[in-house]
Amino acid sequence: MRGTERFSSLHPVVTVCYFVAVVGVSVLLMHPLVLGVSFAGALSYALYLNGWANMRKTLPGLLVLMLVAALFNPIFNHRGYTTLGYLGDNPITLEAIYYGLASAAMIGSVLLWFVSYNKVMTSDRFLCVFGNVIPALSLVFSMVLRFVPRYFAQAKRVAAAQRGIGRDVTSGSWYARARNGSAVLSVLLTWALENSVDTSDSMLARGYGLPGRTAYTDFRWRDRDLMAALGFGGAVLVVAVAMIVGALRVTYYPGFVVSSWSVATWLALGVWTALCLAPVVVGVVEEAKWRSLLSNP
Amino acid sequence: MGVEMRLTWVITLLGIPAALLAGVLFPFERNYYFISLVVVLLAMLPFFASFEGRKPQAREIVVVAVMTALAVSGRAAFFMIPQFKPGMAVVILSGVGLGRESGFVVGALTGFVSNFIFGQGPWTPWQMFAYGLSGFLAGVIFSGPAARNQGLGNLNIPVIIYGTLATFVIYGALVDTSSVLMWASDITWASISAIFISGLMFNALHAFASAVFLALLSTLVVEKLTRLKVRFGLFEPVP
Repeated sequence: MRGTERFSSLHPVVTVCYFVAVVGVSVLLMHPLVLGVSFAGALSYALYLNGWANMRKTLPGLLVLMLVAALFNPIFNHRGYTTLGYLGDNPITLEAIYYGLASAAMIGSVLLWFVSYNKVMTSDRFLCVFGNVIPALSLVFSMVLRFVPRYFAQAKRVAAAQRGIGRDVTSGSWYARARNGSAVLSVLLTWALENSVDTSDSMLARGYGLPGRTAYTDFRWRDRDLMAALGFGGAVLVVAVAMIVGALRVTYYPGFVVSSWSVATWLALGVWTALCLAPVVVGVVEEAKWRSLLSNP
Repeated sequence: MGVEMRLTWVITLLGIPAALLAGVLFPFERNYYFISLVVVLLAMLPFFASFEGRKPQAREIVVVAVMTALAVSGRAAFFMIPQFKPGMAVVILSGVGLGRESGFVVGALTGFVSNFIFGQGPWTPWQMFAYGLSGFLAGVIFSGPAARNQGLGNLNIPVIIYGTLATFVIYGALVDTSSVLMWASDITWASISAIFISGLMFNALHAFASAVFLALLSTLVVEKLTRLKVRFGLFEPVP
């Protein structure tokens, strides 16, 4: 993560609400412009966070998925007036192709928002959001995160020891390997369960379960978190109202109709654009500000 | 039943019909996807609330974390072979050895935490629910002997059969249904069968993996869990 990346340094509650909002609206609305903007915002933020070199590995797979999504609908869905041709006995309609394209944009943008989500919402941020709401489950969650790398390290040691007594996991017949692998797992499980007793005794000794305990978090709620929350909340409210009054209504079947091009539509689209591009714009502006403040010796 | 638990049941039992009703009264594009997501999330709520509500002992928490971590590590260790994962086997054995509630929690958290490695996405809630439900049902069906601290008894073969079916039917069907809802605008027999048939091989392989790992692990894991329970008096027997 870049030190100057501003958006992801917001309070985790704000970040989580932001992602829920953008993904939620992208899934709910099938308006082509809403989806296009969402896709542009998600793509630019994913590129901004991960850099072109990393995204180059992700993007081809994503494009294939989007292509499948775009083709899936017209092949299986034959609603709509405008028949373009026939595939076997089944009509391929223009409306179904439009809907397929919209689906592809929706799937692409949701997956790209999740690329950024996975980068921004690290486990400590998740614990900050849920640590006090669901303390027991959050505790299990943080323990699991600690245990997984520990088990991998221990499994390596156990496997090496087993190899020493002639039970090699990496050679021999398929069945012998599976059996030796299970032996490693068996040892690992015993070790893990024995350790769990130590861990829990240690937790009790440190006062687990006493009243008034809170979850530790490194994040503080600052003024800019409030500002961001109000801004995002307001933007979502505008889009939601526009959606309810029908300003963003689009029908695909039987004919492709964009019902409204009123002031409300443009207002909602403008606000939505600002919401989707906010992380990148804030990031770029803050980065420029930071650079200009650096002293150049 | 505590106040919080009652509130949870009210939210779940009123929320699910309300979501379905809203979908019928106010139809919009993608309402199938959205409403089924709400239903899945609401359906998981009582399980989590009951785990939280009874303020589990430190030892239970750690054992649940150990089993979840094993399932996640298993899923991560076999990352190079698609679908051939021991995760489901570990989840099911947690349900058998520790009871239905822990089975659900281990399953749901396995789905959630392993996606920190494999990537979160719109599929996460469905995977969580599928793993959780498989662990829960394993507990409902098989936890008797383990609860009486008798180990697995002679349930080895039934557990393998259950695990294979659960992986194929519960996990496969739920996750494929989520794909249908995500991909298709109209839920037609053609679009459903296209996705289910394309998923058939993956689900069959996944179910085969569960069978193999259950055959190798079931007696062993349940024995160890039972021993731990007897030795430290964890998870008081379910009557």
